[in-house]
Amino acid sequence: MPLRHVITSARYRALACAVMSDALPPAERLLNLVIALVNTSGRMTKEQIRTSVAGYDREGSTEAFERMFERDKETLRELGVPIVTVHSAAHGDDAGYRVDLDAYALPPMELSAAQLGVLGLAAEFWQDQTLRADAARALTKLRVVGTTPAATDAVVGLAPRLHAAGPALGPLLDATHARQAVEFTYRAASTGEVLHRQVQPWRLIASRGGWYLVGLDTGRGAPRVFRLSRIVGDVAAVGAPGAFEVPPDVDPMAMLLDSQHGTTRLAWLAVVPDRAGALRSRAVEPGDEATPRPAPAGRDLVAVPYDRTGDLADEITGYTDAVLVLGPAELREEVVRRLREAAAMADRGPGAPGGTGG
Amino acid sequence: MAERTPERLVRLLGMVAYLDRHPGVPVEDVAVHFAVSPEQVLQDVDTLWVSGTPGYWPDDLIDFDANSLESGVLRLTQSRGMTRAMRLGTREAVALVAALRALHESVADALEPAEREVIASTLEALTAATGEAAATVDVQLAVEAAPEVIAAARAALRERHRLRLRYVNASDAISERDVDPWALLTGDEHSYLQAWCHNVEGERLFRLDRILDARVLDEPAATRPGRVRDTTFSPSDAHERVTLELDGQARWVAEQFPVEETTDLSDGGFRVVLRVASPAWLEHLLLRLAPQLRSAEPATVVAGAAAAARRALDAYQGLEREAGPGGPAV
Repeated sequence: MPLRHVITSARYRALACAVMSDALPPAERLLNLVIALVNTSGRMTKEQIRTSVAGYDREGSTEAFERMFERDKETLRELGVPIVTVHSAAHGDDAGYRVDLDAYALPPMELSAAQLGVLGLAAEFWQDQTLRADAARALTKLRVVGTTPAATDAVVGLAPRLHAAGPALGPLLDATHARQAVEFTYRAASTGEVLHRQVQPWRLIASRGGWYLVGLDTGRGAPRVFRLSRIVGDVAAVGAPGAFEVPPDVDPMAMLLDSQHGTTRLAWLAVVPDRAGALRSRAVEPGDEATPRPAPAGRDLVAVPYDRTGDLADEITGYTDAVLVLGPAELREEVVRRLREAAAMADRGPGAPGGTGG
Repeated sequence: MAERTPERLVRLLGMVAYLDRHPGVPVEDVAVHFAVSPEQVLQDVDTLWVSGTPGYWPDDLIDFDANSLESGVLRLTQSRGMTRAMRLGTREAVALVAALRALHESVADALEPAEREVIASTLEALTAATGEAAATVDVQLAVEAAPEVIAAARAALRERHRLRLRYVNASDAISERDVDPWALLTGDEHSYLQAWCHNVEGERLFRLDRILDARVLDEPAATRPGRVRDTTFSPSDAHERVTLELDGQARWVAEQFPVEETTDLSDGGFRVVLRVASPAWLEHLLLRLAPQLRSAEPATVVAGAAAAARRALDAYQGLEREAGPGGPAV
């Protein structure tokens, strides 16, 4: 069969489907809606949209149309295509709609092949499904103003990847951008206690394998840092957008570092020769700082800077007797506490889970 | 899996605007540009040329030159006014700008000046086009490696040369390895060198902060880079199956590792099934989880970790005796 014929018959079939307005896929209905609302001279009323735009069921109920049209408007708004409502005295209360081309269009720009390549790299950055999809769509839009082909090796061998943040990230991003308060249930790190929180979200930060929200805890009337992985269940936006301003003098990154006990200290470690290479690779010359005591015979003295006691204690505990902490005392106590818990593990319970599942 | 509606809509509109700027582009090139198959491009064309303004008479529809299409070239003859590229939505802008900013701020030091310039100019162009959307998110990437190691790895990647590493693994053993570098995977917690390791004849991920020394060799890299993969460990049936029952506070285990099964228990605790490749890794995990660990199966995995912890406590006691009165108390 000649190609022309195949194409033509496909076109007629699809055209018949479009004109009959039955079961047009949503992407095609939205496409026709956007084209109609961009081309309209002035505005289209809901009734005009319902009866003339391909994909809407002109025979169906008004309620079904209203629901579908509201959903379509919301989908388009999320894609950056705002549908504006136009009221006209001449038409009474009947609102009309159109797409404002200035709001629709990307400002004039051109992207070189190398720039498009870098954007491709950036789009690969997110592991979260929602942000991945957002980034991929943004890239599709930018390809329109980009040069073919994208230079994929613009930045040789670099492949940035970011931990997934989980389901809380999407709603928090929207609320932070809209300056809208949020509510969620939060599990305190120290006690495991679960509490309800209302927060004005200021900033989201990804750092060292964790995602954090910095904002005003309105229940406590004070700024707080929340770890996203400790949010239990859904995040709900409450109240109106634009409800608060981020105070100009806050430094969210500094708050996060503070909450992580951000001051850098020096750990003094006695390490068995040839062991703990990863710790040794971070070792520094101690300079003027005095060692709390010399390393016992047969061990090397290693000084390692750190800023989170818990993290370093976790790491050192993993080396068990290959690495002993000489100081600071606080770090040594954390390690010894962990070792005691670990030594007691073997005595705990019957030793194996029951016969159910697993 | 069927493509989601927003993705398809954005590409359909994007293709019209793109073809309006580029008259006469082969179907294959359009497919490469939009990262879809040529078949998908033809399906999109089928959709586009029955779409248009109400009435849907031939003059109302988006149209392509049929003769060009027959020879595999897309030439737009009617755009119905859809010639503008679409503005980015809020989250779309955040996703790209935050990623670019993280690249720019965290790894720029490891880049050549020309590469740095490309990232900076892209960020500038995008910020100009999207405004302050991305001010809601900060991302810090961790490149906690010696600058000499990064410089050597990047030089080897650029010149496609082999690299000699001195590497300390998770079991704390140091080895020397010759590798063909494939990619630097930069994450928020750790960064890795993805490479073909000639010592084990296989693909490996090397954590940058565990590379003690890296030297570019004269030999060219012999292997072609494979697919860039996730930095997380991919378990297989060959690895030992371990079941842990834990308190709710250890929930991060289920989030952070590729667990095979998670079962929530009625008292807030939970049970996970993991595949474990390295006994040293498991011992380290158990030492960390000790306060929250209720039980493990097989039970023998706990005994080793507990014995190692006891040895360490003995060593601290020895330290105390040696120090005498006033020394560190345990």
